[in-house]
Amino acid sequence: MKCIRCDDDGVRQVAKAPDGSNAWEVFYCEHCNFSWRSSEEPEVLTPEKRPAFFQLKGVDLTNLLQPCPIPPLKVTEG
Amino acid sequence: MKVLEEVDATTGKEVQGYKDLRTLLPALEANGQLLRVTKDISPEPGVRGYLRAASAMENDGPAVMFNNVVGYRGKQLLINTHGSWANLALIFGRKRQTPVQDLFYDLSDRWDRYPGEVKWVKNAPCQEHVIKENINLYDILPLVRINPFDAGFFLSKASVISRDVTDPDTFDTQNIGMYRIQVQGPDTVGLQALPFHDMGIHLKRAEELNKPLPVAICLGAPPTVSFFASSCLAYDESEYKFVGALNGEPLEVTKALTTDLDVPAYSEYVLEGYVIPRQRFPEGPFGEFPGSYSGVRAQNRIKITAVTHRTNPIMETLYIGRPWTEHDCIDGLATSITLYKQLRQTMPEVTALNATFNHGLTVIIATKNRFGGFAKSVAFRLASTPHGVSYAKNIILVDHDVDPFNFTAVMTALSTRVRADKDVAIITNTPGMPLDPSSEPPGMGNKLIIDATTPAPPDAVLREVRMVDPVPSAKEAEVIIRKFQEEFLKKK
Repeated sequence: MKCIRCDDDGVRQVAKAPDGSNAWEVFYCEHCNFSWRSSEEPEVLTPEKRPAFFQLKGVDLTNLLQPCPIPPLKVTEG
Repeated sequence: MKVLEEVDATTGKEVQGYKDLRTLLPALEANGQLLRVTKDISPEPGVRGYLRAASAMENDGPAVMFNNVVGYRGKQLLINTHGSWANLALIFGRKRQTPVQDLFYDLSDRWDRYPGEVKWVKNAPCQEHVIKENINLYDILPLVRINPFDAGFFLSKASVISRDVTDPDTFDTQNIGMYRIQVQGPDTVGLQALPFHDMGIHLKRAEELNKPLPVAICLGAPPTVSFFASSCLAYDESEYKFVGALNGEPLEVTKALTTDLDVPAYSEYVLEGYVIPRQRFPEGPFGEFPGSYSGVRAQNRIKITAVTHRTNPIMETLYIGRPWTEHDCIDGLATSITLYKQLRQTMPEVTALNATFNHGLTVIIATKNRFGGFAKSVAFRLASTPHGVSYAKNIILVDHDVDPFNFTAVMTALSTRVRADKDVAIITNTPGMPLDPSSEPPGMGNKLIIDATTPAPPDAVLREVRMVDPVPSAKEAEVIIRKFQEEFLKKK
């Protein structure tokens, strides 16, 4: 299965409806951290129907804006 | 000014606040401010519809409790608890119809009782059930995608607790803040806390030493705790002590199981864990308070190591997006009073402050104009508060007798007091709020100051006018009119 948002293969099923109803399953993409429930609307679940603005296919995720920059390490005494 | 008007049905005592969500619910229900949805409802788009609708009702939107969300049947999900002025009034022991400015002054008076008391207890209800193995947040929590193009299921009403790893014994700098949290796998979550947030300071100090930062994430926190988690108190002011001050009784806390953090004893859920140091992971987008989605950013990640909860816990979620939302209500009043108090420390001329619009991107301040130009100085003071630095970009000053929560009154001030050539100023290249789409590059901005106060000498004064006075007999007439309307509606 491919990710709905970034098209990566690293998707895994992470949950089934906990009440035992089998109403839905939840999937999670290890690459872009997108997750979804199988019962959601087609506008959310179908890559072709989702606005292109929200899609990440081919986007370099190693170069995202970092609102909290990693600070330089402080060298501690001893 | 006072007036606690709610009386606890079981104790007969006046209510100033509630020790937990469970004791609040009967008060909401008795006032028609709690809707229980017991039929089957889908998480998306079913619950989302209620999230949007209830939180759009600024004055009297009810809380809504679900117990049959499809796939989560039997789990309790509560929304919009703080989502209207009526609910906020009830949370603080006032009548549901309390005008916002009255609530503002009442809480502002109680603010001065700081520091309130904090009491440590053992065997706390929030730790009745403990999960340390095979943690799966998708199973444990009834999760909902709040807006359709959010990156996943967000914990939108989480009170996050952290301490400074370089000063772990100082209680008052322990921070409780409401930050957005994205569930990213069964036992990891993404966190957005920005550098100007108090937690941003804790993150930086831990990362400088390459240390994991312990955190506790409370869901379904006591109502006053959630309120203060949304405030912008000074770094060394204790949110917990403010809860004690406003509630008029000690806040009960307990030690978390895996860290040295203090957590509210009556929280419904507590997720314990630590921020992974010096790594970032894709997070977002998320529908945010400016009414638009944030971008995808490289943000912090938390590893969850334990989940504790009460028996039959109540999960809380709030709607955030285009105003009006629950976020605007809970954050708005807490931010308004915090900024009001910070300004009055040096400028007692300030009489009220409204920061309820988009988390204070626009702020209206009522102030006496002690001398010519004074109001603009008040704006500078606001722009130098911790919150105002990056948020307050449009600052409107009105006269001290103008209610800043009254749109008509503020528009009248703008319409009749402003001469743009001398009353409007723009300060360029200041800090900005990154989530504001007009902040470009994200984090940079400017300040717009509009002085709509009546000029004071030595400034050129207005040409002489006589204001139309309030009509004293209108109060009595209003009571008669309201009564007529209520009786008419009852007959219908």
